[in-house]
Formats: sequence, structure tokens, C-alpha cells
Amino acid sequence: MTLFEVKDCALLSRMSGLPPAFNLRELRDRIAVCGENVLFHHFCETTLRGTFDNPDYRNDFAVWSKLNFGDRVLAERLGILDPYAFPSLRELRAATLEVIDERLGESTMIPWARPGDELFLMEATTVMFDTGIRISHPRELAASIGAMTGGSVYFHFLEARRRPPFGKDDFTAWLLENDAGEKNRPYVEALAHIDFYFHTLPLLRKELMKVLSDLEDTK
Amino acid sequence: MSVPLGAYEGIVGSAVLRQLRQLGEKLAGIRVVHVNSTREGGGVAEILEWMTPIMRELGLDASWEVIEGNPRFFEITKAIHNGLQGANVAISGKGWKTYEDVNARNFKRLRPILEEADIVFIHDPQPAHLLRLCTRRKGKWIWRAHIDISRPFRPVWKVLRSMVEPFDASVFSMAQFAQPLPHPQFLVPPGIDPLSEKNRDLSPAEIDAVRSEYGLDPSRPLLVQISRFDRFKDPVGVIAAYRMVRKVAPVQLVLAGGGATDDPEGKAVLKDVMEAAGNDPDIHVLLLPPDSHKTVNALQRLATIVLQKSIREGFGLTVTEGMWKKKPVIGGDVGGIRLQVVDYHTGFLVNTPEGAAHRIRYLLHDQDGIDRMGATAREFVRENFLLTRHIREYLMMMLVTLHSNQGNFVEV
Repeated sequence: MTLFEVKDCALLSRMSGLPPAFNLRELRDRIAVCGENVLFHHFCETTLRGTFDNPDYRNDFAVWSKLNFGDRVLAERLGILDPYAFPSLRELRAATLEVIDERLGESTMIPWARPGDELFLMEATTVMFDTGIRISHPRELAASIGAMTGGSVYFHFLEARRRPPFGKDDFTAWLLENDAGEKNRPYVEALAHIDFYFHTLPLLRKELMKVLSDLEDTK
Repeated sequence: MSVPLGAYEGIVGSAVLRQLRQLGEKLAGIRVVHVNSTREGGGVAEILEWMTPIMRELGLDASWEVIEGNPRFFEITKAIHNGLQGANVAISGKGWKTYEDVNARNFKRLRPILEEADIVFIHDPQPAHLLRLCTRRKGKWIWRAHIDISRPFRPVWKVLRSMVEPFDASVFSMAQFAQPLPHPQFLVPPGIDPLSEKNRDLSPAEIDAVRSEYGLDPSRPLLVQISRFDRFKDPVGVIAAYRMVRKVAPVQLVLAGGGATDDPEGKAVLKDVMEAAGNDPDIHVLLLPPDSHKTVNALQRLATIVLQKSIREGFGLTVTEGMWKKKPVIGGDVGGIRLQVVDYHTGFLVNTPEGAAHRIRYLLHDQDGIDRMGATAREFVRENFLLTRHIREYLMMMLVTLHSNQGNFVEV
């Protein structure tokens, strides 16, 4: 069995270089042309970023629609978009634009943000650290995850889906890679059943620990 | 005073220090120079006082240089500072010439260290002209704007922009404070030092001493706003909110701050505040000396609710300080307060004295809510607004700037 190398990560945010958006049409135009890193930042990196975890929605576009445009309908439609359910950021961008276009078509007035509430598009560099910690067996996973930082949980369970093998978290990839006799299948299935996108990182860590611990208890 | 990094482990955990040490290993030996315009007083000097020794402890060859100038130079840089924050100020061609001449004199003195540095951080506008003078620089230069320049007075920004555009990168505390520039613009909010005199844990005896000194009643709720006597902090609005609450609850109010003695505008605001307070024995207006860190710390700890009812604000580190002391904060819906105060979670954002009074009354009926929001606020600060996160982002920024070809992913 190969060792699982526990990494940690942190974000360094920067401006995207795009002008701020003052209304929904401008936001649509920014989303249409922004880099994929910008899209990923506003959909996926929100959990790790140094801002308060919004209790309503996980992506900035939904939060902005509710708070800055006062458009709850749009916020609900954007808020349910799960970026990890799309095969690529290209499809995610298309779906986001479709939701906004639909709303623009329904609206008699374009929603504006009040002065000072304009929307800034950002992106981030991920800096990855090797913690030196190694996991040698699946039964150690629950306890190891319990001791991980939010950065580690994010890196291995969320950010991993952006790296090859695409769409898979690092724990699952490791379990499958070391699974000659399909002994790891229960772990893989347990991880696959977590509805992770709507969790904050502390909640996600708790959920990961729970499903893995429950599995050990049933053995 | 310099506190060793290990002293923070009990507060932030070993993983945070491990990240810093790993970044330090990656950057070991590089020559980093910070340049600002004052050795003491003000937030920038406070940051550099702890940041430079910690960078050294992490293995970087870090130093802190201060430019020297005459009173005329500082009058001009004060006008530049105000102009960048939107004030309509007139700076003549002669004034800009003085600014450039003083920078040139300082450059002569600092030339060897600036030319050889791998990274130079220029803090705020005062030393920004040094970049143009340092034609033989070998390192990367980063401009750190500590103020909100989102709505500058255009003639001032036009001149300064020509000086900061050639930098390799710039840093702002939040996106809302930035200006478009043709280089990477990093976003690094400031942080507080949990072991400083203003934020360290105090013994019950130390807190009681301050309570007694100012005659505060331990049996009644206390509202505290710590800030300069400045119209943007709306101290008169705070008194108006207090009066609305006082009709129904036996609250006390402390308005404490410094900096009024040599500031004509501050004196006028203080006078207005004293008039608004009248003879009410439950309003305590305290004009504190600049080194009253322990008193401020104790007052924030004595508070039932911390107020920061600003109508314009930078990042608002007094909000961070209050939250670190497990207090819900009722803050103005402006600037960096919006990043920190989240309705029903860490406090409430308000826009008027009426809004502040409403939220004070709401919280006074809900001790559990006060405790819950206070605990959430403390953890939010621990995760995001302590000096360890602040220095980590500086180190990451150096790494990214020195290896700018690495894209959006860097391995340490």
C-alpha cells in the first residue's frame, strides 16, 4: 500500500484585472470573459478564503445577487449550481450565464448595486505545503482527517477534483489505487455519498470523520 | 518588542507555524527591505515592528528602513495621503518637487541596500518615488497601500499613479480599496497581534483596576467604542443611540480614544462629543494617551457590546480587537467592518443611530446570543485576522513574485 501524503494549502488572493460590475448585465459580461481561475475562485475557493462562510450560499454570485442586487430569485437559481457536478469549468460558465440570461429576460429593470457595493472579480494562487504526515492504512483515515487543517481538507477533498484524475478527491484516488481485492470499496462508497459542496470546511471535516468512523464501527 | 514565533503556537496551532517555517525555508537568505516614513506611531510602524523580526526568525535577511524628511515634506505627504482618500487638496509643482527631492536625498543614503535587495516593500505613498531613482535595482519592488484609494482626488492620483505603475506588484487590504494598475494587485487584510499589550489576556485584577479607575458599574451593561475623535467614527451618533437605549435599559457608555490634542479637527469633534454627553454620569468620554494599550484592552474586555459606528472606515482593526475579546460588534456598514461583522453571527451592521439602538436593545435581551456571537467572532479572528495569517500572505506574495512563471499553483 502506498503512503498517503498529507498536504496543506493556503490561498493568496489578487484582483482579476477586470473592472468591477455595477449591475447584473456587467456581471454577466465579466463572467463571460473572465479566466477559469476567476470562476473557480468565486465558486469553489470561497470555503478556504478569509471571509465569513456565508450561511445561505456557497458561491459569490448567489451571495451578491441576494445582498448586492436584492434579487432573491436569481440568488436561489445561482445558489443551487454545484460546480463539481459539471464536467468542466467551461460547462459551469455556460450554466451560470444561462441562469443570468434567463433572469435578465424576465426582468423589466436591470438590478444595480448601490454605490460602494459594486462587485470585484478576484482570483487566487494556491500555495501547497507538504505536512510530512503520512497515512498508511484506510482505517487511519478518520482520525487523520480529524487532525487536519481546513487547508488540508480543502486540498484533498475539493481542490483535488481539479487535478488528474479529474473529478476525484485524493482519498478516493488513493483508496482505488491501492485496492487489489476491492477491500476499499466501502470507504470509496461512503466518501462518494457526501453532499460536500454545501458544507463549510469544519462541517465537511466532521462529515468525513463521521462516515469513515461509522464504517469502522460496523466492521 | 519582539515575541518569538513559538509563543503563538498555543493560539494558532502548530500547523500554522509549520506553514510559516516551510515558507521561511523556501525564502531563506533573501534580502527583504521594508521602507516607510515613520519608526513609531501609526499602524504601519506597528506592523513593521513585529513583522521584520519574525521574518528574520524565519531565515530571511529582513530589514526596515525609514525615510527622513523635513516638516514641509511631511505636510506634502499628508496632503497626498488625504488626496488619495478623496480630499480635495492642492499640491503645487513646487510641492511635488520637494517630495521628489526628499526621496532623492534618502535614496543616496539607502542606495546600496535598495539596489541589492531581492524584495523591496514600499509602504504607502511617502517613499514611492524611490523606485524611479533606483535604476540599478536587481530585485522585485512591491507597493503596499495601507489606505483606501478607491475614490482618490484625481490630480493627486494622476501623479502618484505614474510612480506606482512601474512596481512589480501592489498590495491592498481589500478589493474595495484598490485602483486598477498594470501589475498583480494582491489582497492582504491586516491582522492583530494576540500577544501585544492591546490584545493579550488580562488578569481579573488588571481589568478591575481599569473598571475602578473610570468608575464603571459592574452590575450594569457597558457599551464601548474605541476610536479617534473623528467625525467619520460618528461618536455623536453613538451618544444618540445610547440615549435611545438608556430610556429602557440602565446602560453605560465609554467613548475612548486619543489623538485630539494636536489635531484641530479632533479638538472640535471632542468638543461636540462633550456637549452631546452633557452631564450624564453614565457617559464616559476618555481622552487617552497613545500608549494606553492596556487600558484599551481592559475596556474592550469590560464591554457587554463593542460599537464601531463609523460612517467611513479603513479596515477597522478596533472591530477585530473587540471580536478577539469575544464581543459582538455593532458596526457601521462601511469599509472593512463589512468583512468582519456578519449579521446574527458576529454582530450587526447598522447605518443610523436608530439602527444601532435597535441592535443594542435586541442584544441586551439575549445574553445567549451575546455569548454565541462573541465566541464565533473570536474564532473568525483566529482563523483570518491574526498576524500569523498576515505574515503568511506576505511570504506567499514574495514567493509568487519571485517565481512569477509558476502560474496559479505553487508548491512549497
